[in-house]
Amino acid sequence: MASHAEKKLTPSRILIYATLLLACVAYLIPVFIMIITSFKTTGDIRSGNLMSFPEVWSVDAWIKAWSSACTGVQCNGVSGFFWNSIKMAVPAVLISTALGAINGYVLAKWRFRGSDIFFSLLLFGCFLPFQVILLPMAATLGKMGLANTTTGLVIVHVVYGVAFTTLFFRNFYVGVPDALIKAARLDGAGFVTIFVRILLPMSVPIIMVCIIWQFTQIWNDFLFGVVFASGDSQPITVGLNNLVNTSTGVKEYNVDMAAAMIAALPTLVVYVLAGKYFIRGLTSGAVKG
Amino acid sequence: MAQLQLKGIRKTYGNAVQETLKGIDINIESGEFLILVGPSGCGKSTLMNSIAGLETVTEGSILIDGRDVTHAEPKDRDIAMVFQSYALYPTMTVRENIAFGLKIRRMPKEEIDAEVARVAKLLQIEPLLDRKPSQLSGGQQQRVAMGRALARRPKLYLFDEPLSNLDAKLRVEMRTEIKRLHQRLGTTIVYVTHDQIEAMTLADRIAVIKDGELLQLGSPKEIYERPSCRYVASFIGSPAMSFIPLKVERDGGNLRASLRSADDDQMYVPLPEKLAAYEGKEIHLGIRPEHITQPLAHKAGQEATSSGKFRIEVTEPTGPDVMALIRINDTEVHCRLDPDHTVDPGEPAELMIDLSRAIYFEAGKEARIDV
Amino acid sequence: MAHSGVVSETTSQPARGRLTQRLQQWLPKLALAPTAAMALVGIYGFMFWTGVLSFTGSTFLPSYEFVGFDQYVRLFGNARWLTACTNLAIFGFLFIFCCLAIGCFLAILLDQRIRNEGVIRTIYLYPLALSMIVTGTVWQWILNPSLGLEKLMHDWGWTSFQFDWLTNPNMVIYTIVIAAVWQASGFVMALFLAGLRGIDPAIINAARVDGASLPRIYLRIVLPSMRPVFFSSVMVLAHIAIKSFDLVMAMTSGGPGYASDLPAMFMYSFTFTRGQMGLGAASSIMMLAMLLAILVPYLYSELRGQRNG
Ligand SMILES: Nc1ncnc2c1ncn2[C@@H]1O[C@H](COP(=O)(O)OP(=O)(O)O)[C@@H](O)[C@H]1O
Ligand SMILES: [Mg+2]
Repeated sequence: MASHAEKKLTPSRILIYATLLLACVAYLIPVFIMIITSFKTTGDIRSGNLMSFPEVWSVDAWIKAWSSACTGVQCNGVSGFFWNSIKMAVPAVLISTALGAINGYVLAKWRFRGSDIFFSLLLFGCFLPFQVILLPMAATLGKMGLANTTTGLVIVHVVYGVAFTTLFFRNFYVGVPDALIKAARLDGAGFVTIFVRILLPMSVPIIMVCIIWQFTQIWNDFLFGVVFASGDSQPITVGLNNLVNTSTGVKEYNVDMAAAMIAALPTLVVYVLAGKYFIRGLTSGAVKG
Repeated sequence: MAQLQLKGIRKTYGNAVQETLKGIDINIESGEFLILVGPSGCGKSTLMNSIAGLETVTEGSILIDGRDVTHAEPKDRDIAMVFQSYALYPTMTVRENIAFGLKIRRMPKEEIDAEVARVAKLLQIEPLLDRKPSQLSGGQQQRVAMGRALARRPKLYLFDEPLSNLDAKLRVEMRTEIKRLHQRLGTTIVYVTHDQIEAMTLADRIAVIKDGELLQLGSPKEIYERPSCRYVASFIGSPAMSFIPLKVERDGGNLRASLRSADDDQMYVPLPEKLAAYEGKEIHLGIRPEHITQPLAHKAGQEATSSGKFRIEVTEPTGPDVMALIRINDTEVHCRLDPDHTVDPGEPAELMIDLSRAIYFEAGKEARIDV
Repeated sequence: MAHSGVVSETTSQPARGRLTQRLQQWLPKLALAPTAAMALVGIYGFMFWTGVLSFTGSTFLPSYEFVGFDQYVRLFGNARWLTACTNLAIFGFLFIFCCLAIGCFLAILLDQRIRNEGVIRTIYLYPLALSMIVTGTVWQWILNPSLGLEKLMHDWGWTSFQFDWLTNPNMVIYTIVIAAVWQASGFVMALFLAGLRGIDPAIINAARVDGASLPRIYLRIVLPSMRPVFFSSVMVLAHIAIKSFDLVMAMTSGGPGYASDLPAMFMYSFTFTRGQMGLGAASSIMMLAMLLAILVPYLYSELRGQRNG
């Protein structure tokens, strides 16, 4: 909208640009600080300030954060946590996306008595404050022998992620004309064939949205990680938190920032590469939820 | 009621390479109903938005009642506009929609109420006044959109495809209603449509635009009978005018051309003497379907009419007429037949060709040959 | 619920066996079964289970000796819980208000045919891709009382500048607001921008022809039609506020003392570090109640709105 004819630089337009630019700076500064701090030496931090560039650019903090910083009693850096996160996120993302696609397909194109009610009930999962399921989930995982395992975390993320993925796929498939499904049925295609041969090939965009959304959510999760995992299965967010809030020794902000960068990089990279899918997931998840 | 002058309007959008309007000159008389027609994307909406001040023009000037408003804000032009999508304010009731422009102009409350009542009565939307746009049907929304434009009694009304989103029956009804309104209020109207029937029925004058250029400006009759170029000729009229290639020959004193049917029957038609310059060359004859008919007693023997046998390829009964397709000089030609005389597809029929209203074009050229 | 899908349930197919036909009919339901089981157990079963626990005297391990509403009585007698709730009220209100104000403002500015809009939008939104733990870590450093913002200002010549909110029990909750707004306001901007883009440009043109000025067009026409966006933003932000846990954990761990506790933080520490499972369960049920208190009216008005067309 806003079809004002003038595109010349009037004073009011300069003001608009200035405000927008100022906001850009405000949003960017924390990450800017994070980056320059992570390349400083401990001495640099004491002598300089937040916005000063490092005297010498040093990767020591990064190396320490990755391999030797203390995260509680252990001092092996966050590398182990990083790999845990990958081992947890990849299967959880794939499984929840696959389940969501199938659910969305049924809920949009093969509705039956009660399927709409089921959908509403499932949607509540998007709003659930997870605190309310922590205790029973912990007990159940314990009973199943999955407490403190990556498998356990994968299961938890699938169970509570599937509400979102189902929502994404259902809304996408609702937009596919019913006539297409009818035509395929007349051609003799059944439930599975229609899904695999007709719908899946056209679902690439929504699969992207789903994967990116789920990856961001699962990678960034802290609550499940801190409650359901311990020691050698904890994800990167827990590792970072342990590193930052560990009370032994002097506080090394450069190492903290390097570790934070390590934790942030995968999702930031995904955002920079596929931001439009991320934003689409964000807005559709919120508006329709 | 006002006079509108468009002088050499040019417009290039900021982000576009192509010029959208390429110098449009039109004078619109006070009280005139001017229709802009043209294919989609030819710049009709751009021209309307420029008149309204919603877009700035790159060159040229716009005068309303002699006052230059080229650089005036929309609100200072005293114009009302009806949009194709109706553009009703979704959060306001019908009443508030109509009153909005009046409120902005700080009209006293009683006067606003009176004006809303007048417009509602005029358009018969009184029962709808307290509804929201989302609670109205398409036709009702269209009425409200017109009501909003009528309320301010501006100098000039702009209608940008106001009926395009209505179904066929409502469109015809509203067309009549708009015509009646114009006759009653005598306002100056610029009206965009791509529907040529709307153009023919409503307009005092029609402006045909293509690719940002004004091809022809004239009364519906002029546009229909004396189209300035091949494009206008084919754009107006349905089914469209047929263009038959033929060779200008001289037989004794008179110019003539031969028409060959699909069965290789030959007949000769007389051509006007003004085509003498094209003797021996190929030209195109433009003829409308209603000028190829079954033999009509009252036209028989007139100078411009001739008859011949043509095989009917396809017939399309429309009710009042039967449209038929024949082939002359290897070109498909539409003709309009009387439904009472049965013709059978595939069979030859005796047809009369009346060239008194025919027009001629140089082969491969747009412009009409003046005869 | 009518079965209004594409499929009529009685397709008369010859021979080929009733079994395949049966299977075709059951396949959709079968496909939903795993999710149905997960949702039933994982959402509703576990919710119920937590509800049961909140009426027991469970400590380190679940026990099923029922104590009625005792845990709830204890909860509301607990100063730390009350602080957490007060903090949530302050945090929730300021967080939602600031996000809406900033998000809406930036969206309107961005909607003025801005060059490089895509780049700017990307910048406003990237914090959302970060984990709250990362956000908390960064802001903890920026707001660090000795080496952070304060030192920067001193270095830049404003020597009297003092900023100790992070260690000041009365102000610490506002630091969490700052970090949370930094992270989530871009999201509101995206929602509003999408809403603004959904408005028919002809409506704005109509208003301009009607003579309305730009501020008036926004106040009278554009913003009123943003109502649904406004409500869904509030919904999502309130949801984030109630669940907020990671950010507090990373920035302050609830400190100093428990001055920056939020209910989610309270629930975690009582349940998992202090072994007061019954009390923790009761607090989580209260969090659920808070969520329902905003969700139910929202859904109610949504559904009613849909019915009224
Ligand atoms: N805001 C704009 N920016 C750039 N090009 C535009 C804009 N609006 C219209 N155009 C272009 O100008 C031409 C004319 O558009 P328009 O006036 O809407 O056509 P019409 O109303 O006759 O269908 C089209 O080619 C269109 O793509
Ligand atoms: Mg148009």
